[in-house]
Amino acid sequence: MTLAARDIEKRFDRRAVLRKASLELHPGEIVFLSGPNGSGKTTFARILATTLAADAGTVTLDGRAVRSALTESRRAIGFAGHRPLLYLGLTPLENLEFFGKLAGVSDARARASRLLAGFGLEEFSGIPMEHFSRGMLQRVALSRALLPQPRVLILDEPYAGLDEQGADTLNTLLSEARSRGTAALLISHTRERIVPGIARSYALRNGVIEASA
Amino acid sequence: MTALRVLAKDLKLHARDARFLATLALFSLSLVLILSVAFGPLFRDPAREASATLWAALFFAGVLGLTRALDLESESGGGEALRLTGADPFSVYAGKATANFLLMAALWVLLLPCAAVFFDVGTLEVLPEVAVVAALALIGYAAWGTLFAALARGLKARELLLSILLFPTLIPLWIGAVKLTRSLWAEGSIDAVRDWVKIMVVVDVLGIALAAWLYETIQEAEE
Amino acid sequence: MTSGIPGWLTRSRRVVWALAIVLVAASLWAVVARAPIEVQMGVVQKIVYIHVPSAIATLVAFGLTFAASIAYLATRAWIWDAIAASACEVGMVFATIVLVSGPLWARSAWNTWWTWEPRLTSFLIMWILYGGYHVVRASVAGNSKKTISAVLGVVLFLNLPIVWKSVEWWRGSLHPRSVTMTGDMRQTLLLSMAAWLVFFLAVFRERVRLEALRHAEEEVERAR
Repeated sequence: MTLAARDIEKRFDRRAVLRKASLELHPGEIVFLSGPNGSGKTTFARILATTLAADAGTVTLDGRAVRSALTESRRAIGFAGHRPLLYLGLTPLENLEFFGKLAGVSDARARASRLLAGFGLEEFSGIPMEHFSRGMLQRVALSRALLPQPRVLILDEPYAGLDEQGADTLNTLLSEARSRGTAALLISHTRERIVPGIARSYALRNGVIEASA
Repeated sequence: MTALRVLAKDLKLHARDARFLATLALFSLSLVLILSVAFGPLFRDPAREASATLWAALFFAGVLGLTRALDLESESGGGEALRLTGADPFSVYAGKATANFLLMAALWVLLLPCAAVFFDVGTLEVLPEVAVVAALALIGYAAWGTLFAALARGLKARELLLSILLFPTLIPLWIGAVKLTRSLWAEGSIDAVRDWVKIMVVVDVLGIALAAWLYETIQEAEE
Repeated sequence: MTSGIPGWLTRSRRVVWALAIVLVAASLWAVVARAPIEVQMGVVQKIVYIHVPSAIATLVAFGLTFAASIAYLATRAWIWDAIAASACEVGMVFATIVLVSGPLWARSAWNTWWTWEPRLTSFLIMWILYGGYHVVRASVAGNSKKTISAVLGVVLFLNLPIVWKSVEWWRGSLHPRSVTMTGDMRQTLLLSMAAWLVFFLAVFRERVRLEALRHAEEEVERAR
């Protein structure tokens, strides 16, 4: 599936954060987006993921506006951002099963176990997440985003808080996703830890997205 | 199915937060205590005073329960993730409202015997009817409360705003609950005040209808 | 680039205000000079000439808020939000007048400040609810303020009939409040109602104009 954002504008309290930002994600491609702090990367990511509405501009999935078919669009897009987007009072397994089932995944439990094992969290999968470390939360959050095997992935700073193994697992999962034809957007400060090949690189500056080396 | 899953999730979350539940129970008990003292020590119309005390305590404590349910969603973004699964908004609302209803019902089960004992009213005979009246009132409370809570999410003085909006709106429900309960306790029947049942049903239905219409709009509004 | 504000907000401003002021002045004169002093209550009875028109203005205002809120939800056009919020604000002022003049009248008529008279009680409930509307509106973040306000504007209004009915039932059928007047009294009341309604519309339009100016300013900043 192709996710396309065109001329996205967004302001918060009169401050323009995005001014006509555009980007396209194609199947089987990993796109890299960087930018200084406060440049609006997270806002842009959240608009693509449909969790935030743009003031102007369009986001389309295979040509169809995401806002016109929110349920289908949301099921096709997986998102992981700065917040865990999890219920800390539940266990990792409960969280993943809950979100997975709601997203229409019938074998959510099995997939959840596999993902958690892959991230080395087996022994913690039955413990409520209140006291999890940042790195543990991040791994569960990524599992949540990846579990339904969405056609599009929007990952904002996915490597934050991950150790070597965590980063390796993520890279493996990303490669798998890419070979499945998933379109992915990786937002990060640095490209260092990203192993799967990056198709295109961009930078978000002054509210617009420009190609970068 | 979505509604049931959301309900189960909410109940699980509440059940694991023993500290909050204990605080809520103690808070509502202290409300009953204060009101009993205010009316006492000699009760002129025990059925009425007991009924008013019970429902006042429930209404106030209920706001805390509603706010807590709200916070569980926004704390670490669980609610946002829920939205992003593409789950049907009204089903999510139904699940949440039912969870809120059950929490209120649990409070009622706790407070009813206290009110009955402190004011020396009530019999087992009328208990089923009293329970039906309570169900009517709490369904409306949960329906409107969940709606308003969603509106007020992310706002600083959530509990205050929720109270300001919820209490005046639910006055019909409150009057009905107090009158019907009192009537059952004092006279054993609701003949004289039967009409209030109709109003309560209307309030309940209106709340649910408004949620069906507007919950998605509220959910999609930026925090 | 000129983002002018809608024409209907600026057309014949002076005429409307002149009309409003003339009418209000005329009605006040009528209240003082024409309307006879009521036998039982004396001069205090004349409060009804501000009390009733204010009640009507309040209901018109909150009705406007409801209609505009629905219009906003349907179209997402800023003007409806401006109308809804302005109507509610002006309505609050008139509701306050109702709540202050009512007890003053009651004190004289029934020797008590507050009697839980159904309509006055319902007005008190409305006053609190729409006060809440403004508090929520002031607290909500910029981007969702209009949507949340609109939802509230709809929800609160639809519940009002139930609240009214239940307060009436609760109070029992006491104090039939139909104001039957004849002759000079009736004329003065009708004149007062017309005057205060026009005044309400004038103030309301000014308020919407203020919102429109604010919106125009934001548009200019947006273009920068």
